[in-house]
Amino acid sequence: MPFPILSILIFFPLLGIGLLLFLDRKNHKVLKGAALGVALVEFIFSLPLWFSFDSTTAAMQFVERHEWIPTYGISYYIGVDGFSLLLIMLTTFLTPLCVLATWTDIQTRVKEFMICLLALMSGMIGVFAALDLFLFYVFWEVMLIPMYLLIGVWGNPARRVYAAIKFFLFTMFGSVLMLVAILVLYFHYGQTTGIYTFDLQKMYGLNIPFNMQYWMFLAFGLAFAIKVPMFPFHTWLPDAHTEAPTVGSVILAAVLLKMGTYGFLRFNMPLFPQAAHYFVPLFSILALIGIVYGALVSMMQKDMKRLIAFSSVSHLGFVMLGLFTFTIAGVQGGIIQMINHGLSTGALFLVVGMIYERRHTRMIADFGGLATAMPIFATIFMIVTLSSIAVPGTNGFIGEFLILLGAFKSNMLYGTIAATGVILSACYMLWMFQRVVWGEITNDKNRDLKDLSLREIAIFAPLILFIFWIGVYPGTFLNKTRATTENFIAMMEKAKATQVTQSQVFKGEAQ
Amino acid sequence: MPTDWPGLIPVVILAGGGSLIFCAGAFWRRLPGGVLFALALISAAAAGVAALWITPANPSSEGMLDLSGYARFFTCLFAAITGLTILFLRQYARVRGFAGDELYGLLLFGALGMVLVAGALNWVIFFLGLELLSLALYVLIAVRKGEAASNEAGLKYFIMSAVASAFLTFGIALLYAVSGSMQVAGSLAAALTYPDYLPVILLSLALILVGIGFKTSLVPFHLWTPDVYQGAPAPITAFLSTGSKVALFAALLRFAMLAPEPVWAFCLPGLWVLAALTMVVGNLTALYQTRIKRLLAYSSIAQMGYLFMTLLAVKQGGLPALLFYLAVYAVMDLGAFGLIGSFSAGQTQSDRDDLADYQGLGYSQPWRAGVLAVCLISLAGLPPTAGFMGKFALFRAVLHSDYVVLAVIGILTAIVSLYYYFKVVVAMYLSPATAGATVPAADLAVHLAGAIILVLILWLGLAPSALFGLVDRLAAALALSS
Repeated sequence: MPFPILSILIFFPLLGIGLLLFLDRKNHKVLKGAALGVALVEFIFSLPLWFSFDSTTAAMQFVERHEWIPTYGISYYIGVDGFSLLLIMLTTFLTPLCVLATWTDIQTRVKEFMICLLALMSGMIGVFAALDLFLFYVFWEVMLIPMYLLIGVWGNPARRVYAAIKFFLFTMFGSVLMLVAILVLYFHYGQTTGIYTFDLQKMYGLNIPFNMQYWMFLAFGLAFAIKVPMFPFHTWLPDAHTEAPTVGSVILAAVLLKMGTYGFLRFNMPLFPQAAHYFVPLFSILALIGIVYGALVSMMQKDMKRLIAFSSVSHLGFVMLGLFTFTIAGVQGGIIQMINHGLSTGALFLVVGMIYERRHTRMIADFGGLATAMPIFATIFMIVTLSSIAVPGTNGFIGEFLILLGAFKSNMLYGTIAATGVILSACYMLWMFQRVVWGEITNDKNRDLKDLSLREIAIFAPLILFIFWIGVYPGTFLNKTRATTENFIAMMEKAKATQVTQSQVFKGEAQ
Repeated sequence: MPTDWPGLIPVVILAGGGSLIFCAGAFWRRLPGGVLFALALISAAAAGVAALWITPANPSSEGMLDLSGYARFFTCLFAAITGLTILFLRQYARVRGFAGDELYGLLLFGALGMVLVAGALNWVIFFLGLELLSLALYVLIAVRKGEAASNEAGLKYFIMSAVASAFLTFGIALLYAVSGSMQVAGSLAAALTYPDYLPVILLSLALILVGIGFKTSLVPFHLWTPDVYQGAPAPITAFLSTGSKVALFAALLRFAMLAPEPVWAFCLPGLWVLAALTMVVGNLTALYQTRIKRLLAYSSIAQMGYLFMTLLAVKQGGLPALLFYLAVYAVMDLGAFGLIGSFSAGQTQSDRDDLADYQGLGYSQPWRAGVLAVCLISLAGLPPTAGFMGKFALFRAVLHSDYVVLAVIGILTAIVSLYYYFKVVVAMYLSPATAGATVPAADLAVHLAGAIILVLILWLGLAPSALFGLVDRLAAALALSS
């Protein structure tokens, strides 16, 4: 039996929780240290995944498979390919940084916070590794509860319960419909082949009638679109982001939103390829609305966290646009942009969190001239801002450039509209940056702010390293996903020819 | 068929244990504390172990009482329910001064009633079991003699039950008049031998369903549920909402399996509507509750709705899912009510009922609040709990039988239910602590019961295949024999 590295990655954080349970709840330093230790060990465990990943094949690697509930054809089946590899690495990379970022931020109920964080970590890795639809659904739901608690317990007291419940109900609504769709798919597979199984890879080859694909695509798509979030299902996001504690926002933006885009890549498109082609216009237009609308709304925000939250809507619009081009450049760009968004938006939330810790406000109007008081902070903030607006040399440029390349190739108009998003993002980010960092110090409270501590710089250092690494030499990362992407494109190409009209779908004639 | 004495041992243990407790209470003047508790617990455990280990030689005892795997499964379940209730009751009853022989004895007789109801192959046994169960419950609900709410609840349950019994008896009488048989299988088969009398048989079944519907709080016969649940002492509510409902449902499942095709086809539309109504009304009404026992009462109505929904699919392979969910429901609902009981201070008259009094409990009582939260999350049907696996199995069975609309109604109401289950979680974990009544420390028995429930919920949520395999075999056996 090969070394079960993925299972270790999934279950090691749970072991860590077991350790935390026995630690003294009063001793915050020890609790945080233990959580940091667990997260770091987890990161080290994940390194072999990266280095021994075979980037020449599109097949699933590090596969583990055990019977779980044989009566229903459910198995514990996990593995990674290029898509999930990057996202798992992102998760294990960010979690230690998150623990580090809570050092002074979280002072109440530290034990419970760390338990939630580790549970979240385990759930997220499970989501990205699961290759059994049922198992995927379990992980997908399991991580809702810790995230709900992160927002609801440690969030901003005024509106945290509202934001937490909104987040929970939105996600739940989508995912329960997905569960119905999963069951319908399961029965369809069972009836056509005689084998009842939730095995995702077996379902890939299934020839589903278009009529069914249409509804299934929408049911799965709703769950993932809420998570991404795509316009018009994005309304939970600003609330959740704004009310969540800093680390909650980081995890939410960096990893949880990616579960939506990943869901499209892993489930929606390959399972229902004809429907995916059919829905390209709808989803591309929604993505474009998200890009432009998110950017415009961002521009008008007074609260920095809300601004970044809306910028996420815009950035993830780019990702979705890229994925729906079904071109190598577009999909590769979409994947790298998922990572980019995780790095730069995660960093932006950390930036806001650190300034909030010092001033207890996030309003742009309360700041100005921070560069004088906090030069190191200003430098880091600038690098992160530039990466977010995709300046060449930073990671954002690579992602958005590839996506635009793909978009122009598939539809000139989409590409053109999307390109305005790049300009708009420069507007809102730089304007915000200008009002916060440049100019004279207008508010006396900002005069004696302490600059970043060594710990805070240490949080940003790895993030900035990767911002430039991806910006200068993206090949390291693109190579890992190339084979998987090519395979994905080939799979999608096969399903291209179908032409179906709406009325055929509703009459049930579309096969 | 001869009397199968070895197979009847669980029944004998329960009856003997109950009688022994009554005798001890009557004749043993200076009773050392804990004797009755120990006797009751040992009897319940012994009955469960006997049902588990002793394989009866005959499938039934004189054709009256089922001794097959199906009945033994439920006997074990009832023994577990009774045992856990006794654990939850120990401190609760002692503090409030009703830990006498009537409490423990009646619990065992209630359990005996449940066993008879679930295993009845004859209408007389069914009726006797039901009356035994109801009689025990009337007294148990009103066991706190000094408290008005408890007495009112007992009286309410008594009157409602009496009406339900009247319906039930009339239904059985009609069925007997048509078929000339008191055997469940024989009387239902009359629909095939006397097709002309189908309307009368349907009428009698409708009357029987009304009777069972009262007991299982099927909408529109559910109105007693919130009042009685609120008035009864919380651990007794736990016993009532799990044991009696599971028992009646076990009987209902057997009747459904035995009902011949023409009868069943007529029942389906009505059951469809009742199931949908129960899910919708139960879940929507629960949204407005601010008292946790009423909230859980409506939640248990909704849970019955999910079971009734799957009842439609019982003949197309839905039976294993139903058995699984009944066991899961018993564990999680019992845990929820039992823990509410353990949170309630003895000095005040009523239980800790106001949601506001639960604020901050998650941090002051991490262990018990944690178990309560797990029970609620399980009731809401979220992984990795048993409730998720159970709901998954239910909806899978319903979709498999192509009741898509009903399944969608069920799923939508299940999403609604998340809100009210989380209301409790919000109060416990997300709201600032208030200076509510003090929470009494729990004794070892409550801790033990909590731990058992926690382990069961997580075990069935993570590794359910053992129980899934078992219920599959039981269902296959029952389908063969019917």
